[in-house]
Amino acid sequence: MKKIVLLFSSLLIISCVSNEPKPIKLNVDSCEFCKMTISNGKFGAELLTKKGRYYKFDDLSCMMHYTKENTNVQVQSFFVNDYAKDNTLIPAEQCFYLHGGSINSPMRGNFAAFASDKDQDDFQKQLNAKMLTWEQVFTMY
Amino acid sequence: MKKISFIVFLLFFSIGKAATIQVGANFPVKKIKQALALAKDGDTILVDSGIYKEGTILINKKIYFIGKNFPVLDGQHKKEVLSINANDVVVKGFKVINSGHAALNDPCGIRVYDKNNVTIQGNILDNNFFGIYLQNSTNCIVKNNIIKAYGKAEQLIGNGIHCWKSSNLQIIGNKITGHRDGIYFEFVTQSVIWRNISNNNVRYGLHFMFSNDDAYITNVFKNNGAGVAVMFTKNVKMFNNYFEENWGDSAYGLLLKEIADSYIFNNRFARNTSGIYMEGTSRIKVEKNSFESNGWGMKIQASCMENEIVNNNFLKNTFDISTNGSLVLNTFNANYWDKYEGYDLDKDGMGDVPYHPLSLFAVLTENTPSSMLLYRSFMITLLDKSEKVLPSITPDNFVDNKPLMKSLPL
Repeated sequence: MKKIVLLFSSLLIISCVSNEPKPIKLNVDSCEFCKMTISNGKFGAELLTKKGRYYKFDDLSCMMHYTKENTNVQVQSFFVNDYAKDNTLIPAEQCFYLHGGSINSPMRGNFAAFASDKDQDDFQKQLNAKMLTWEQVFTMY
Repeated sequence: MKKISFIVFLLFFSIGKAATIQVGANFPVKKIKQALALAKDGDTILVDSGIYKEGTILINKKIYFIGKNFPVLDGQHKKEVLSINANDVVVKGFKVINSGHAALNDPCGIRVYDKNNVTIQGNILDNNFFGIYLQNSTNCIVKNNIIKAYGKAEQLIGNGIHCWKSSNLQIIGNKITGHRDGIYFEFVTQSVIWRNISNNNVRYGLHFMFSNDDAYITNVFKNNGAGVAVMFTKNVKMFNNYFEENWGDSAYGLLLKEIADSYIFNNRFARNTSGIYMEGTSRIKVEKNSFESNGWGMKIQASCMENEIVNNNFLKNTFDISTNGSLVLNTFNANYWDKYEGYDLDKDGMGDVPYHPLSLFAVLTENTPSSMLLYRSFMITLLDKSEKVLPSITPDNFVDNKPLMKSLPL
């Protein structure tokens, strides 16, 4: 009996939606919103729905537009590329953001995301950009 | 007295006539930077063949910068190779190689900073991050250059010819391979792209963003990662181009997104996954094009309106047309469809029975891509035939009322 319970509970865990990002394949995957092929691993973004579907974007602004236009899509989590690394997705809510300055993103959303506030600080001087939090980014759209 | 007058004469001579400074191993001036320091506006610097590793060469005078037998300007993978920061400069006959490779400041083979009337002609660019970059420039000519890079899918690389915030440009007769986008236009107006060959680039052969009132004529875009994209733009003329062999899940011969008031005339779309993909497109005329051997001839999303598709040939495509909605706001007229099975009793060259280019199966695969497995099965063929007689799933106003009986000689 115990074994069966264990089996079922493990099945349940496996079948649940995982909260891990799925890596973006550069120059192969295309943006769900603007249909452009994603080629820059510094500005990509990804959305995971409650049903477990992944949508990929080439720019944070595309993801925001997509979420605001498709209110029927229930979002489990948002991911963004770490600007300090190459094509690494990290949870968007915990990121530190820079906006504007000399940041040049594919669809001119011009956001850069960082896993640490130290990186944000370092790049802020280099890029001459404005510091933002996820809440501020989210309310901009 | 004679001597003085001679000197005065010489002075006049040197002021009045532009000088030519020769650079090379066999001349007194060995380095390009030395020559640039000596030169005045209007002078010619003639560089002999050889390899010049001088870091970033900055041209800030109005000069003719000419290479003899393709002297090599080597950036040694560190910085930008040639920066042009003056009006009326001509750069001709150089081989520019190995620019730096960085994501932050986009180092280039040749870059023009906020200037007018610059001509970049007959150069070879090899293995640079960006090839030629025109930034905030007007009246510039980029002609007959060969631009080559070795970009791979998982790696960051710049564009072949990148134009930003410029106007009145002429991009003529260049050959571009292996960059991210062959030619990239962002905020560029009143410009022409003519007789270029852009193939085997990592992403797009040609990419338009926010660039109004431009034309691209007689270009070849072949075997690029995702074809050609024209986005967020109006008044673009696309004539006599070849869009060929752009294969892949997100690859299109021509991707049109948010574009209006444009004219697509006499192009050839052959062997692409989708010939044209349209989304948010309005008031476009698609006339006298040939769609041949594509997976989908045209994918017209429901967000498109008031487009006219007239006098085109649709030959040997798996699906001629596909759409994702039931609303039809576009018109089809007098096209040739090789799948048309009607007749022409009054012999006016037009079929007497209207043709519904949207097959049932095209609609099914749009909604459920995996149903492609059943393609060409007996049941599907039967359903397709019954759908032709009595449209139920496909919109019945998706129709060409005067389909041609013979293909157009395009």
